Amino acid sequence: MNKWMTSNLWRHVVAISVVLFSLFPLYLVIISSFNPSGSLNLTSFLPREISFVNYSLLFSDPRIPYLSWMKNSLIIAAAVAILSVTIGAASAFAFSRLRFKGKMSGLKLLLLVQMFPAILAISAVYVIMERVQSFAPGIGLGTRPGLLLVYLGGAMGVNIWLLKGFVDSIPAELDEAAKVDGASPMQIYWLIFIPLATPVLAVVALLSFIGTFNEFILARLFLVDMSERTIAVGLQSFIGGQYSQNWGPFAAGSIIASVPIVVIFLSLQKYIINGLTAGSVKG
Amino acid sequence: MLISIFRGKFAFALKVITLLILTSILVMLAQQALASSEYAIAIFLAISIVMINFVYLTKRSVPLKFFLPGLLFLLAFVIGPILYTLVMSGFTYQTGNTLSKADAITQVQKLGVVQDSNQTIFDVTIGKNGSNELSLLYFDSLTNEFAISTEKARTAEPESTVVKDEFDIPSSSPNFSALTEDELGALDAQIPALKFYYSDEYYLGLEGFQAASLYKKSLQFNQARDEFKSLINNDIYRDNGRGNFANINNPEDILQPGWRSPIWFENYTKLFSEERLRTPFIKVFLWTISFAGLSVLTTFALGLLLAIALNKAIRGRRFYRSILILPYAMPSVMSILIWGGMFDTEFGAINNLFGTDIAWFQNAAFARTAVIVVNLWLGFPYFYLVASGALQAIPAELSEAAAIDGATPRQIFNKITLPLLLKILSPLLIASFAFNFNNFNLIYLLTGGGPIAQLDGEIAGSTDILISYTYKIAFNQGNSNLGLASAISVLIFLLVASISMYGLKKSKVLDDFV
Repeated sequence: MNKWMTSNLWRHVVAISVVLFSLFPLYLVIISSFNPSGSLNLTSFLPREISFVNYSLLFSDPRIPYLSWMKNSLIIAAAVAILSVTIGAASAFAFSRLRFKGKMSGLKLLLLVQMFPAILAISAVYVIMERVQSFAPGIGLGTRPGLLLVYLGGAMGVNIWLLKGFVDSIPAELDEAAKVDGASPMQIYWLIFIPLATPVLAVVALLSFIGTFNEFILARLFLVDMSERTIAVGLQSFIGGQYSQNWGPFAAGSIIASVPIVVIFLSLQKYIINGLTAGSVKG
Repeated sequence: MLISIFRGKFAFALKVITLLILTSILVMLAQQALASSEYAIAIFLAISIVMINFVYLTKRSVPLKFFLPGLLFLLAFVIGPILYTLVMSGFTYQTGNTLSKADAITQVQKLGVVQDSNQTIFDVTIGKNGSNELSLLYFDSLTNEFAISTEKARTAEPESTVVKDEFDIPSSSPNFSALTEDELGALDAQIPALKFYYSDEYYLGLEGFQAASLYKKSLQFNQARDEFKSLINNDIYRDNGRGNFANINNPEDILQPGWRSPIWFENYTKLFSEERLRTPFIKVFLWTISFAGLSVLTTFALGLLLAIALNKAIRGRRFYRSILILPYAMPSVMSILIWGGMFDTEFGAINNLFGTDIAWFQNAAFARTAVIVVNLWLGFPYFYLVASGALQAIPAELSEAAAIDGATPRQIFNKITLPLLLKILSPLLIASFAFNFNNFNLIYLLTGGGPIAQLDGEIAGSTDILISYTYKIAFNQGNSNLGLASAISVLIFLLVASISMYGLKKSKVLDDFV
């Protein structure tokens, strides 16, 4: 008993206190979402009443286009994930497996560019897209396709870099053998590399999806119309803007929006964490 | 079988069709860009079109076939904006100086008018004259006659032929018919730009649909000498080299609007030479460093503590682990907003829990504490995960050997485990520092940078980090300064890049190229 006390007790104490710290906000959001009075308060540890008012409000109040927000976020994030990985994988393959002039300087440039935080160039992106808007209103400032383009550009640096790391770890013997048999780089890419890399591509696509889902500031600058907003911007407007301090529906909305992300994250944590340690800090 | 999809006629046809569609879309865009004189964008599109067709229709470069799409996106939305930021940082690019010089001159001329000294206003009717020109019919109270003014001329109308409406306002005459409501509606947007001749000196400008005032030009532009001359007091206004025409006798007296004018490094030097900018900049800079440093320190310390505590197969370890990464799995935007609500003074759970009554976001020290606490919650799982991984990677033989030599567990930790961990994790620590250095979302969503000292014009708050401060400068309503914001952006980039480069050198990532 005494030995157990000294060797294991402190471990449990540390773990339990941090677990409480981790759970506190989450618990609070959950009980607030069932609390019809609408503040992020802690009147008692157990909810006095359970009501689904906040949840039903999200889907019934015409002033809250929650479903369109969700749809916008999912479509944009999915499009960014799929397109950026498709484009990024090809580039990563070239950087990892092909020999060409200027490869080293290309990689260095990529690295350097990646260090320019996207938010810093935001005023330039804004001005550029404002100009695009003037001649192509469909893809400029204030449109979802425009936002998608900007996201794709921003995702490129990180994704190519991340994917190159993964591609490097796939043994080169297979494609060398194929090369000996007379396969062209295109064939090696489609018939050998892509099937091998699919799990890895899926993970990077997922990281990209979560990152885009979480993106706030570009979405806020770009999408002005209430129904065009993404979920992050929309939910923020609950508590910041005209609804001021509407915590009940906010809590309900965040829970619905977070559950899929949390489930994806937890079920694929092993792969995701490998990706994160390979070169990025989740935003 | 499969190979035939990637070779053969089908694949070729597919490639040509895709290229055709893409090319035609891009050509259309380039044409539109050219039409609205966005030359840089048009040139970029043209180069893209040539490159795409060249690369995919010839066999000159196989690698380019793979990375051209990525390259184009990178050029358009990352490298382009970075270069543009660099360019903007060399200009006066701010509220009042957003136009090109030619546009600014046109605007100054348009605005360079004054009303006559009596501020005369005529009741007018808008219509068309006999030759179908847009014109005004009105009673001229200065000369006591009815008159019709077009853009170029004014003719008097005999009183007997003028028809008046129930308000005694002239509404038509043989030489004049009023516009219909619909026609007026269509004209609405042009109203401020319309001018009607009154005399050589004065013209009539509309104030809505039913009234017009007498204006005269107050500024004369001299193209050859590139200067404005005041027609009122003969003052000369010249290009002051900073994007404005300024009175040569009084540099403070400038004409609005100005234009984007190159000032080279002034945006940079201004940050250090002007007291008004330097003080908040240094304050924000110091807090940014402390914030990033403290964030890394706290998240790493808690993560490491957990990793050590759970490095042994104790009961419930899996359960603990799955709970501990929850904060990391949650979308961070939402977590930050939730924490913002919890720190609310009146209704927030934090004050509630501790029975306190602290106005967290009104006081600099409390707001900073809140920021660090929230970031700790967001960030410790990352270091818990990576430190756990790193602990596994340290060979057990090392500590066993030390234990045999009689080292205490504390000595083993301090002398062996920790130094090795730091060595393994240092690139991640540096990356985390660089990330927090620019942790815009946290600051923007939690405190908005506040609290802000109530000085006039001051926009830097106590929790503002460089990036949120820059954002405020760039998008401050009514007083945005893109030039200055760009200069700060470039400085932040240089800083973060050198920190990251140092980190990468340490981690030897660069050696792994090839």
